[in-house]
Amino acid sequence: MSMTIHPITMHINGKPVGPVPVPEGIMMIDFLHEYLDLTGSRLGCGQGICRACVVILDKPDGSSEEVRSCITGAHFFEGKKVRTIEGHAQRNEQGEVVALSPIQQKFLEHYSFQCGYCTPGFVNAATVLVEKLKRQPVTKAQLDDTITEGLNDHICRCTGYVRYFEAVKEVVLSTPGLVKDAK
Amino acid sequence: MIQSKYLRRALAGLALPVLAATLLAACDSGSSSSAAASAQGAGQSQAKPGSADQIALGRYLAKAADCAACHTTATGAPFAGGVELASPFGKFYGSNITPDKEHGIGKWNADQFYKALHDGVTPDKHLYPAMPYTSYRSMTRADTDAIYAYLMQQKPVAVPTRAADLSFPYNMRFGMMFWNVPFLKNQLTDASSGKSAMWLRGQYLSNALGHCAECHTPRGAFGQLDLSKSLTGAALGRVAAPNITPAGLAAVGWTAADLQTFFATGIAPQGSAYGEMFPVVHLSTQYLSKDDLTAVTTYLMGDQPLPPQPVKTINADAMELDAGKRLYTAVCAGCHGFQGDGKPHVAVAMKGNSTVRNADPHNLIVAMLDGIEAQKFPGTESLQDMPGFAGQLNDKELAQLSNFLRATWGGQPASITADQVKALRMTTAAH
Repeated sequence: MSMTIHPITMHINGKPVGPVPVPEGIMMIDFLHEYLDLTGSRLGCGQGICRACVVILDKPDGSSEEVRSCITGAHFFEGKKVRTIEGHAQRNEQGEVVALSPIQQKFLEHYSFQCGYCTPGFVNAATVLVEKLKRQPVTKAQLDDTITEGLNDHICRCTGYVRYFEAVKEVVLSTPGLVKDAK
Repeated sequence: MIQSKYLRRALAGLALPVLAATLLAACDSGSSSSAAASAQGAGQSQAKPGSADQIALGRYLAKAADCAACHTTATGAPFAGGVELASPFGKFYGSNITPDKEHGIGKWNADQFYKALHDGVTPDKHLYPAMPYTSYRSMTRADTDAIYAYLMQQKPVAVPTRAADLSFPYNMRFGMMFWNVPFLKNQLTDASSGKSAMWLRGQYLSNALGHCAECHTPRGAFGQLDLSKSLTGAALGRVAAPNITPAGLAAVGWTAADLQTFFATGIAPQGSAYGEMFPVVHLSTQYLSKDDLTAVTTYLMGDQPLPPQPVKTINADAMELDAGKRLYTAVCAGCHGFQGDGKPHVAVAMKGNSTVRNADPHNLIVAMLDGIEAQKFPGTESLQDMPGFAGQLNDKELAQLSNFLRATWGGQPASITADQVKALRMTTAAH
């Protein structure tokens, strides 16, 4: 196949991006890194296994889902709304971080990450999970399995799973409306 | 390799009055002429009954015959049965063939074991043709004795065989005696030509032991093998068994060397084993000797193999191709490569892939809809799972993607429609 250039337009972290002319076969993570200087998404395995690279796709129906940016072409996101790890914290007009998201804050408090390489993926996974629970709350009895299922595909080579899990659980239990029978 | 459609047809045949006519058909006496024909390839040792040599041979033959596929579950004891086989009429379960006297075949003698494989009749019942005795019939007595000796050395497991859960009239086992009259043949027909010793050995390995025909040969109205179309392919399960005649293999680019690599490792330049074929490699063909694999490929491709056909150049609608290409680069190229070259140890190439090259788009569409589970291949090789795209891409998009793949790397016309994809969307099956 011949390589051609296609302009690409999307919303990233609430801001319009593009049109940016990029080669048609470029993966999303390379587009983020090389064209937008958004280097927070981590290229881990490069084959869709570790999920360090996931970004959040905001769908028209108000739901959100994870998408692996290392094996998904940038043009897949044409016209779509995307969130990356850079889009979670609140920033002032100068672009300085003034407040972390609840997930980020709890990850810090629990010291969930060690080397930090997988953390962007876990932040996105946990955020998608919390947003799903807002739409579809679960019972307290279902919560552990629900969190496990939400994070399960993500790999942490420092084996920080327990602390990730505990941090997410704390966020869920302290956020009204996510657990049906929470006290 | 048991297929519900086959069974459905076979059993449906029993319910039809027309079967009465078949009861009048001349019944072969049952002496197997194929046994003599295959003797040169079979039972290579006239091992002493019960000897270590005979048991070792039996172990090898049990793998060649892929007994474990139906008689060993992923988590169960070897040969203790329990493999579930779903059908529209209910469920079948592979039987316990350990030497347990109550639940297994511990009370059987070698004669009875031979009769089960040769005639489909056990000491207590008629077997359904889901057990491929229609192929095993060609096994030599020496080989069935060796398998019997091997099975008798296994640990007896007191696990009862689950009864098949079938509705009337399919639950009438005795009906199989009437089915056997016209349809239990002494010899299968060959799709290839040959007379070399290697071809003859391959004939025995492929037909009698490997029972390739059970999946790859179409079936008639009564579920019988249509021996006029041997190995031309059959859509039995969710993943269809492709045409493996010499012409069929050559048409999608197979060479004897690649086919042998495929049987030994599960992966070849033409793609990896998936669907029903994965367990065949996993449990059976990887354990065959190099000579026996050469024999199998010689038999399938013939003594004079046809040259692999080059991929034809296809002229297709540019807009259709462009739409498919955009989808490919969006959700496929990350693993299969922008140029379709694949990634070693990650995903197979699309360029030269036999499923992409297949004129019948069934398996291509099914793979994209359902995905393919992560698989461990012989040695240290493994491939990650391929996600299914049924939930991500609509019928039109999957048709465009199919057409791009077929026209670009398959040498097939870009003629797939959204309706063809829609027809294959799963309603029940596992993803």
